Amino acid sequence: MNMGEEQIIFYFFAASVLISALCVVVMKNLVRSIFLFFVTLFSLAALYLFALADFIALAQVIIYAGGVLVLMLFAFMLSNRELLSSLNPVVSGFKINNFAGILISLLLLFILFTVIIKTDLNHLNWMQESVPINSSDNTTHLIGIQTMTTYLLPFEILSVFLMMALIGAAHLARKGGKS
Amino acid sequence: MIPIAHFMLISACLFCTGLYAVLTRRNAIQVLIGIEFMINAAVLNFVAFGRYDKISGGGQMFALFAIVLAAAGVAVALAIILNVYKYFKSIDPTKTNTLKD
Amino acid sequence: MGGLNLTENIALIALAAALLPLFSFVFILLSKKGGGANFALASVSLSLVLSLYLFSQLWNTAPVHQQFSWFLIGTVQFYAGVLLNNLSVLMMVMVSGISVLVHIYSREYMKNDPNISRYWAYLGLFCFSMLGLTISDSLLLIYIFWELVGFSSYLLIGFWYSKHTASQAAKKAFIMNRIGDLGFLTGILIIYTQFQTLDLHSLFGDGGLIGTSSIDGDLWISGSQQMPVIWLSIAGFAFFLGAMAKSAQFPLHTWLPDAMEGPTSVSSLIHAATMVAAGVFLIARIYPVFDPLILDLMVWIGAFTAFMAASIALTQNDIKRILAYSTISQLGFMVMAIGIGAYSESIFHLTTHAFFKCLLFLAAGSVIHQLHHYCEKNGHDFDCQDIRLMGGLRKRMPFAFWGMCIASAALVGLPLTSGFLSKDSILIRAFEWGAAREGVFVVLPWVMVLTSWLTAFYIFRLIFKVFLGESREIKMDRLVQINDSPAQMTSVLVILSFFCTFIVFDSNPVSFESSWLWNGFQISMIKEISIFHWLIPLILNFGSIVLIFVAYRIYVRDKGSNKMEVSWLYHVSNREWYFNEIYNFMFIRSVEKLSLLTYRFDRTVIDGLVLSVAALTKIISSIADWFDRNIIDGLVNSAGSLSRYIGRFFRNFQSGRLQNYLTTMLLLMLSFFILSYLI
Repeated sequence: MNMGEEQIIFYFFAASVLISALCVVVMKNLVRSIFLFFVTLFSLAALYLFALADFIALAQVIIYAGGVLVLMLFAFMLSNRELLSSLNPVVSGFKINNFAGILISLLLLFILFTVIIKTDLNHLNWMQESVPINSSDNTTHLIGIQTMTTYLLPFEILSVFLMMALIGAAHLARKGGKS
Repeated sequence: MIPIAHFMLISACLFCTGLYAVLTRRNAIQVLIGIEFMINAAVLNFVAFGRYDKISGGGQMFALFAIVLAAAGVAVALAIILNVYKYFKSIDPTKTNTLKD
Repeated sequence: MGGLNLTENIALIALAAALLPLFSFVFILLSKKGGGANFALASVSLSLVLSLYLFSQLWNTAPVHQQFSWFLIGTVQFYAGVLLNNLSVLMMVMVSGISVLVHIYSREYMKNDPNISRYWAYLGLFCFSMLGLTISDSLLLIYIFWELVGFSSYLLIGFWYSKHTASQAAKKAFIMNRIGDLGFLTGILIIYTQFQTLDLHSLFGDGGLIGTSSIDGDLWISGSQQMPVIWLSIAGFAFFLGAMAKSAQFPLHTWLPDAMEGPTSVSSLIHAATMVAAGVFLIARIYPVFDPLILDLMVWIGAFTAFMAASIALTQNDIKRILAYSTISQLGFMVMAIGIGAYSESIFHLTTHAFFKCLLFLAAGSVIHQLHHYCEKNGHDFDCQDIRLMGGLRKRMPFAFWGMCIASAALVGLPLTSGFLSKDSILIRAFEWGAAREGVFVVLPWVMVLTSWLTAFYIFRLIFKVFLGESREIKMDRLVQINDSPAQMTSVLVILSFFCTFIVFDSNPVSFESSWLWNGFQISMIKEISIFHWLIPLILNFGSIVLIFVAYRIYVRDKGSNKMEVSWLYHVSNREWYFNEIYNFMFIRSVEKLSLLTYRFDRTVIDGLVLSVAALTKIISSIADWFDRNIIDGLVNSAGSLSRYIGRFFRNFQSGRLQNYLTTMLLLMLSFFILSYLI
C-alpha cells in the first residue's frame, strides 16, 4: 500500500473513533452509547495497528471490547429494574454545567492543540536518537522479553493488583450487608 | 508513515471528549465511559510514541499495563456504583450531594 | 383665774360663752352617730347662763374692750378681741336664749331623722358663729364670723341635701350672701385705707375716728389720710350691701323664701331670729359711718322691701313662705328705722321680732310635724305645708293655735303685746321724721302704715285658713287622729308666748319710752311730736282690726275669695313679683351662656392645643420610629444580610456534586495554565 491509501484508511478510522466517541457522550440512551463505545474501541484497535502495535491492538480488543464492555453490559442488564428505570435523561438543552463542561473541554483541546502544533516533534532529541520499530519486527516477541526482564516487577504487581481488584469488587458487590 | 502529530491530535480530541463526558453526564456509567475514553486516549498516545522505541518497548508495555489497570478500575467502579445506588437510590452523580454545605 | 383683773375675766367669760357651741360642734362630729342632743343642749344652755351673767354685769355700764395682737403683716399689726357693750350683751342673750329653746324643740321635732348628729353639730357651729359675731371687736373679726354664719346657714338649709330643691336653695342663699360679703369687704378696705385700723371701739365708739373725721369741701379728712368724699358714701353703701344680703332686703331677698327648704326649727332659729338680724346688727354697730345719703337710701329700700314682702305674703299658700316674707317685711321695718335715725327703736323691734317670729315658725312647725305623723299613719300623702289643704285644727291643736295667735298679735302690733311697743314706736318715729322732711318723704310713713295693715291681713289669713273653718283635705272623721305636739315642743311654745307679751320688755304696756331695752340705746335725734304717740297706734290698730275682720269674713265664711284669684294683682303677688324669673333672665342665663362658652373654648381650643401637641408628638415619634426601624435597623440588618448573601454565595460552591468540583478545579487549572504560559 502506498501512502495515500494508508492515510485514507487511517483518517477513516480516526473519524470513526472521533465520531463514535462524540456520539457516545452526546447520546441520551445508555444502551446505545455503550454499543457505540464498542465501535470506538474497535476503531481504536485499528488505529493501534497503524502505530505498528499489533499485540496492543489485539489486547485492546480482547480486554476492552471483550471484557470491559461485556462487563458493563452485563452489569447494566443484570441490575435492578429501578436502576434501569432511573436512567435520567440528560436535560435537554444547554445548562450551565453543560456549558462549563464544553468550555473546559474546548479549552483543554485548544491548549493541547496549540502545544502539539507548536512542538517540532521530529527534531526532539530522543526522537533523533530513536530506533523505530519496523513493520517486519515481531512486537509480540519484544513485549514478551520486556515483560520478563525489564518490566518484571510491574508485571507481578499488576497480577497482585488484579487479584485485589477482583476480591474488592466481589466484596463490594455482594448481596446483603454493606461495606 | 503517519506523522506522530496526527496520533497526538486524535488522542487529544478523544481525551477532551472523555473529559466532557465526565463533567456533564447525569449517569454514573456514562461517567465511567468517559473515564475509559480518557484512558484510551492515553493508551493511544503511548502506542504512538512506542513506535519509536524498539530498544525497550516502553510505550507498548505501558500501554498494556494501562489497559489492564483500566479494566480493573472498571470492575471496581461498577461495584462502587452498585453500592452508591443502594444508598442513594439513584446513579445520578448530582444526587449524591450529602457532602453539601 | 386669780391674777386677772375684772375686765379680763369678763372677756374670758364672753369668749367661753361663744366657744362652748364650737366644742359641741367638734365633739359631735367626732363622736358616734345618733348622739349629741344632750351635749349640744348642755353647751348652749351653759352659753345662755354665761350670757345672762354678762348681761347682768354689763347692761348700761361702760363697754368692756379686751384685745390681743393677732398677726403681723409687714409692719402692720392686726388685733383680735372682745367688745362688750349694750348691743353685744343683748344680742348674746337673745341668740343663746332662742338657741336653747330651739334645741329643746328640735329634740322632738327632728327625733327620727337619721342624720341627727350632723344637725346638732351644725347648730353648734351656727351658735358659735353668731355669738362670735356679737362679741367681735374688729371689722375683720366680724367679717370672719359673718362668713361663718353664712356658711352654717348654707349647711343647715341644705341639711336634707339629697332633696334637689334643698341643695339648690342652699346654693342660692350662699351665693346671694357672697354678693353682700363683697360689699362688706369693700367697706372694710375703704375704712382701713382711710383710718389704718379696723377696731370697732376706736372707729365707732364715742369720740371715735369716724366721728372726728370731717368733710371739707369734697375731701373726707381723717387724722392722716384724705380721700374724695364720695368714698364715704361708697363705704356706707358697701356695708349696707352686706347687710342687705344678710337681712334679705330688696334686691337680694329672693334667697330667704327658698331657704325654707331646711327644717322648720332651723328656719325659726336662723331665718327668723338670729342670722337675718345680723345684718341689722351690723348696721347698728357701725352706724356712725353712714352719711345722710346712704341713710335715705336705707329708708327707701327698707320701706320698699317691707311693702313688697307684705304684698307677696298676701297670696302665698305655703305656711313657711308666708312667714319668710313676713320676716323680710319686718326686716325692712328695722332697716328703715335705722335709716330714719330711730336706732333704739330698731334694736327694740329686732329683739321683739326674734321672739314672736320664732314662735310663729315653731307653731307652724308643730302643725307640719303633726300632719306628717298623720300622713305616715294613714298613708294619705299631701303637701303638709299647703294652707289650702288645712283647716279646722283649732280644737285639735290648741297650743299651736294659741301660740300662733299670740305671736300674730305681736306681729300685727295689737295692744298688750311686745310688738305693739316696738313696731308702733318705729311708725311713730317715721311720722315724726316725715313731718320734719318735706316732699315725697311725707308719703313714706303712710306706706309703712299700709304695710302694717297688710301684715295684719296676711297673718290672720294664715291663722284662719289653718286653724279655723272646715278641714279641707282631711276628712272630719279622720281629723280626730291629729293631736297636739309632744310636751317638749309645746312647752317651748308656751315660753315663747310669754316673751311675746309686753311684760318682759316694759312695765307700761302702752308707752315704749319706759322700756328698759329702749333706754339702753342712744336716743334718736328726731324731733318728737307728741300727738303722734297716741294717734298713730290708734290708726294702726283700728285698721288692723278691720282687716282682721275682713279676713275672717273672706276665709272663714268663704265670701268673696274666688273673685280675687283672677286679677293681675293676685298673679303678680303670687309669683313673688316675678323676681326669680327676672333674676334668672338677667343673670343666670347670661352666666350659663358664658360658662357654656368657656367650656366650649376649653374643650376645643385648650384641649385642642394639648391634643394637637400630643398628636404632634405622636407624629414625630412615628417618624422617628420609621427612621429607626428602616434606616438604622436597615443599616444593621443590611450588614447582616450582606454577610448572609456572601455566605450563601460561597456556600453554593460546596454543592456536594462531584462533577461541579471537577469542573471548578479544571477551570482554575486551565486558566492558570493559560495565564502563565500562553499569554
